[in-house]
Amino acid sequence: MFTNRAEKLFIWVFFPLALLMPLLLDQNTYYVNKLATILILSIFVMSLDYLVGRCGLVTLGHALFYGLGGYLFVMLAPEYEAVNFWIYTFYVLAIASVVALIVGFIVLRTSGIYMIMITLALAQMCFYFFSDSTEFGGNDGVFIYVKPETHVFGLNLFDLDNPTHFYYLCLLSLFNCLLFFKLIMRSKFGRIVDAVQENPERTTALGYNVFHFRLASYVIASALGAYAGYLFALQYGFVNPSMLSWQTSGTALVMSILGGLGTLYGAILGTLVYEGLHYGFEHLTENWLLPMGVLIILMVLAFRHGLAGYLESLLEKRK
Amino acid sequence: MDITLFLFQLMNGVQYGLLLFLIASGLTLVFGVMGILNLAHGSMYMVGAYLAWYFTNTTGSFGMAAVISVIIALLLGILIERTLIIRLYRRNHLDQVLLTIGLIFVFNALQSLLWGNDPLGVAVPAWLDGAIPLTDMIEYPVYRLFVSGLCILIAIGMYLTINRTRLGMLIRAGESNRDMVECLGVDINRLYTLVFAAGVALAAIAGIVSAPMVSVVPGMGEHVLISCFVVVVIGGMGSIKGAFVGALMVGIVDTFSSIMLPQVSSMMIYILMAVVLLIRPKGLFAN
Amino acid sequence: MSSNITLESGAPVATQAAHKPLSDTEVVLETEALCKYWGGLKALDDLSLQFRDRQLHGIVGPNGAGKSTLLNLLCGTYSPTRGRILHKGEAIESIKPYEFSRRGIGRGFQKTNIYPSATCLENCSIAAQRRVGGSFNIFRSRHSEKLLTEMAEQALEKVGLAHRRDAVASRISYGEQRQLEIATVLATAPCVLLLDEPMAGMGHEESQLIIQLLKTLKQDYCIVLVEHDMDAVFELSDQLTVMVDGQHLITDTVDQVRDDARVQIAYLGQGDEVI
Repeated sequence: MFTNRAEKLFIWVFFPLALLMPLLLDQNTYYVNKLATILILSIFVMSLDYLVGRCGLVTLGHALFYGLGGYLFVMLAPEYEAVNFWIYTFYVLAIASVVALIVGFIVLRTSGIYMIMITLALAQMCFYFFSDSTEFGGNDGVFIYVKPETHVFGLNLFDLDNPTHFYYLCLLSLFNCLLFFKLIMRSKFGRIVDAVQENPERTTALGYNVFHFRLASYVIASALGAYAGYLFALQYGFVNPSMLSWQTSGTALVMSILGGLGTLYGAILGTLVYEGLHYGFEHLTENWLLPMGVLIILMVLAFRHGLAGYLESLLEKRK
Repeated sequence: MDITLFLFQLMNGVQYGLLLFLIASGLTLVFGVMGILNLAHGSMYMVGAYLAWYFTNTTGSFGMAAVISVIIALLLGILIERTLIIRLYRRNHLDQVLLTIGLIFVFNALQSLLWGNDPLGVAVPAWLDGAIPLTDMIEYPVYRLFVSGLCILIAIGMYLTINRTRLGMLIRAGESNRDMVECLGVDINRLYTLVFAAGVALAAIAGIVSAPMVSVVPGMGEHVLISCFVVVVIGGMGSIKGAFVGALMVGIVDTFSSIMLPQVSSMMIYILMAVVLLIRPKGLFAN
Repeated sequence: MSSNITLESGAPVATQAAHKPLSDTEVVLETEALCKYWGGLKALDDLSLQFRDRQLHGIVGPNGAGKSTLLNLLCGTYSPTRGRILHKGEAIESIKPYEFSRRGIGRGFQKTNIYPSATCLENCSIAAQRRVGGSFNIFRSRHSEKLLTEMAEQALEKVGLAHRRDAVASRISYGEQRQLEIATVLATAPCVLLLDEPMAGMGHEESQLIIQLLKTLKQDYCIVLVEHDMDAVFELSDQLTVMVDGQHLITDTVDQVRDDARVQIAYLGQGDEVI
């Protein structure tokens, strides 16, 4: 399933290392939490990478679903009662899919720059909806007092209050997510997704309704983006409108390019490196945006195939 | 709502719309002629406002500050186009988005580095600091009238430039066909630099004249950028006329909804946009 | 659902005389007073044509005659300003572009239009999968279906590209890419083939290959061929339509068209293409 050499190498290094990480860090709560956040972000970035890199649909509003995932949990779950994690995962995925179907129906009628602006505007609309609403705590957001339980047949697999447990839940989710996307790309559906991305005109002429395939992809990616937001909300115990901000979408886009657009595993790579740089710059200067901005500009100008592309060319040379 | 209050709000809406037009016209001009989507366009608005504050304080004159700020903005536009944007002409939209996001980061960092993160205020210049009574109870600030007048003047100027001059002819030709412009023996690079700098200046002017009306705060650029997107999407990407109509619609809807429907007011313009899109997916005045 | 799919198009292969009368076979595609205006420009005006099964219908005319516009109308890329398009007697001018292919109207483009990064087999598999179905199945591997692969291979074989099965499409020669494009259309099991200058930009030998291919294909399909290579069109066409400035000039057999005085004046005597 993982055929590319660079991809194989990355997966064989990353996942075993990630499995050992909590032990290596001696269960240091701060770092384990930090890494769990990176895993969550990786899921979000991967879903965006699929949309932008594999389907050719550039969106600047993916944060809409990230925020939605968090807010959906707050809306649905009773305030002082532990609910079942798996059931609410299903709810979040299902409702986010329905929302994505409606949003996708509007935004996918357009393309290119129009789509970029409209996705951004729609995400912003939701941002304002939540930041103006008194019901959802306005700008401060909402707290989640009780974390869900993860009972399956009476067995509590993960204790979500325990950072290490939560970390492993995120790692499992990320792995499944990668597997799921790889499965899609290998499937008959994936064949047409590739075809639509490479030559939509031809694909229409061969009798495929390109819009349906784009919409299906949009729903899949959005639902997984919402799942990432749901995990994020559970990790920090609150949701607020900044999850929906355009910065969230923009940063995720930067991460996916940094990792190598359309490579899927590159999303993990990009998120790791971006967050690493962020962390490093933040410790150097209060104005970490300055070096980050310069780096992004340089990346666009000179580092177009991302880290995955770099890794692949390295392996190519050594062959 | 009685008729004077209605008129008062209408004037506010139109004034806000005209200001939005200034910014959105720059965005749409740059896209229409050069095919570039500049997300950092809002940052230029912010830069204008901060420069106006800075030079008003150092020179003591708002008018002087405005002139200096516009010149700096033009130079900034030329610099950005020559060093960065020029590398984007043959790239896809995604690269444009990313590079201009990088620019937003840089400008936000510079703003916080140079001027800090506290809200700043610029005083309305004395010669414009007054109000015209509409009724016994309501009066309308002279400065806002001045801003509206200025925006209308600039709009007329743009209309004349685009429709009556050789430069305007090139801009119109550039919108429809790049090769044709080059066939006319025109240095397309010069045209692009000029258009981009003009776009930056338009956003900066909007920022400068806004400075006395709003508080100068970090993040003001992004907020206005997204409103401009709505304007441009409604009007049709690349159409100046569309930007004008779209800006007025957005300005008026935004102003009235904040009085009549305060709970959902900040969403109204997006709802307006969605409705327009469902009816005309390419905007009202798409080519 | 895949069990009842045949690998051939519905028409049985019949042995035919070299020149059959025009009314010999069934009309599969038909235009009635078809018009396409771009603003004031009449790209196509009042065109009524009949395309018959197992015949090759050539369309010629100087640049701007409306040939490509006609093809774009016939495959649904443009929708007509007025007039009708009938497929086996049913009006289809208002159906969606992707439905044309599902009705068996296959389209080759003027510029080579393939999936350059995919292999030749994959190019045809994309097309064949439309018939087999299951395109929304995210669990079934794209390489798992024997029937689908067979159909794709068969399409490659028909155009003589079987030996290029696993070559990446961007790496094969230009002529082969044109063949591949026809193969992808064949893999959708069309009854009508709309071909837009399949020989453009080809050398003599490559052209001969395509001519031979079209000769074989026209025994099974209704082919509408827009082509600038006059020798090829004359050699291949059962019926020939000459268009000028969006107007229909004449439709007849090659010999009749060649002798027609109007054609001599309007087109053949003047343009760059001399016979």
